[in-house]
Amino acid sequence: MKEKLRHFIFSELIFHEAPETFGDADDLLEAGLDSMGIMRLIMFAEKEFSVTLPDTEIEPNNVRSLNALEQWIQLAPRA
Amino acid sequence: MLLEPFLRQCQQQPKALALIEAELSLSYGDLLERANSFAHALQNNGVMPGHRVAIHLERGIDAVTAVFGTLLAGACYVPLDLKNPHPRLAFIINDAHIAAMVGRGSPPPWLTGYPWLDVTACPSGQPKTTQAEPGTLAAILYTSGSTGKPKGVALSHAALAAFKEWAADLLELDAEDRIASSTPFFFDLSTFDLYAVLGRGASLYFVSTALTMVPARLSSWLKEHAITGWYTVPSLLAFIAYKGNLGQTPLPTMRFLIFAGEVFPTPALINLAEFLPSTTLYNFFGPTETNVCCYWPVDRERLNPNQSIPIGFPTAGNELHIDGTTGELWVRGTTLASGYWGEGQLHSFLNETGWHATGDRVSVNENGEYLFHGRLGRMLKCSGYRVEPAEIEATVSAVSGVNACAVVGVDDPTAGQRPALVVELAETLSLSDLRQALLRQLPTYMQPCRYWVVDALPRLPNGKLDYQRLRSFMELQ
Repeated sequence: MKEKLRHFIFSELIFHEAPETFGDADDLLEAGLDSMGIMRLIMFAEKEFSVTLPDTEIEPNNVRSLNALEQWIQLAPRA
Repeated sequence: MLLEPFLRQCQQQPKALALIEAELSLSYGDLLERANSFAHALQNNGVMPGHRVAIHLERGIDAVTAVFGTLLAGACYVPLDLKNPHPRLAFIINDAHIAAMVGRGSPPPWLTGYPWLDVTACPSGQPKTTQAEPGTLAAILYTSGSTGKPKGVALSHAALAAFKEWAADLLELDAEDRIASSTPFFFDLSTFDLYAVLGRGASLYFVSTALTMVPARLSSWLKEHAITGWYTVPSLLAFIAYKGNLGQTPLPTMRFLIFAGEVFPTPALINLAEFLPSTTLYNFFGPTETNVCCYWPVDRERLNPNQSIPIGFPTAGNELHIDGTTGELWVRGTTLASGYWGEGQLHSFLNETGWHATGDRVSVNENGEYLFHGRLGRMLKCSGYRVEPAEIEATVSAVSGVNACAVVGVDDPTAGQRPALVVELAETLSLSDLRQALLRQLPTYMQPCRYWVVDALPRLPNGKLDYQRLRSFMELQ
């Protein structure tokens, strides 16, 4: 899951000089993930992993890193 | 004209709230006092009527102070996108021939050769009164240029005044209104917030950038402040409709929502409309050169998920014409910009018959409503930003080791379009070095979303690039 997220984020949402060096715990928001990026990421994750990410859980802490994202998506209700 | 209605509000209701930014707020009277002090400081630094002042501030109370202070000094403001890499900002201030730059604290390290003013540290003062003529420039908004460099769209006092009067009347804005504001001042949407809203004595509530990432909290914020109207981009409204918890957060005070800057996908608009049954929705349309030349009050009954919505009818007494051969929209009238600003001069953008050819392809339906069918030229619309592929190509070509390159747009479900780069590289240059060079010089929304290295770019028999083939290759990648 993390690799799929990583691939989507760095090919579609964030422009990074060397995505392979970006750590699983590194800060995606500092790296440039913005509100439109978060929306696209949520649309991607809901479809790709067949989950529903609840409106009220869309918080910076849940999308801040690849680790946080993976944990959030794993705990989300199935669609 | 442009400033008079605002100045009247300052006089008539000095204690009324003009601006609210997080925990800070400023009354009309205090805003005018700060703007006057800043105008005074500009004049003391040699800024004369007709000069240009670059604004190095994020949207908010200080930026509004700087904008009105600049106008009170008779000068024209050039708002900068602080997310742009420094070389692009430096190009813009040189091209604009600015007389000064305003910001907060100390100047950015890349600024050399121009006076710097800290808007938060101006001693109290009263500027010498200036009188703007209708044609005096009020703002220059820089956008991507098809010649390979950013270009400035120069808006006069008269053009902005015509738009704001028309919009304030349409929306029936008054001192009771509480309007949300989320648009950076380098976008033309901001002229609604600055002049229509503050010209009618309403309160402007700045939406923090952090809030735009948390849609459910943004809905609660709109509700909590009993916001009555908002002019913003479709993507943000689509995000709220999708994940803003609107089912549990009704917004009964929201009188109107206006959107512009990109096409609103109709399914997302239907979703939004269902959550907000009593809110009037408007589609505003127009390239920056016309500010807003068309508008459509959304007819809910006619929303069809498989059909894009009309751009509607002419605004503010503007005249529209469709070129018979190309289907291109031509505009002339009151809200039109004065021309392009470049190398310290104004350049007309009217054709021989006095119209501005927009580059947008349109038609008219049986109801007399205009419909938008895309661009004629190569311009892309990426997350609401105008992107000229030529500007990216010029930057890429300037990197040593690039033999040839081409930029094409690829469709993107949420960003509209994204630029993709096809490039011929010499052995001396790696793709990662090229990406690094572009990161330093182009803003994020102009960064290619895809790179494709080829031995030779596809060309037509006459040697020109074959963009048709490039696009179809990119779609398959």
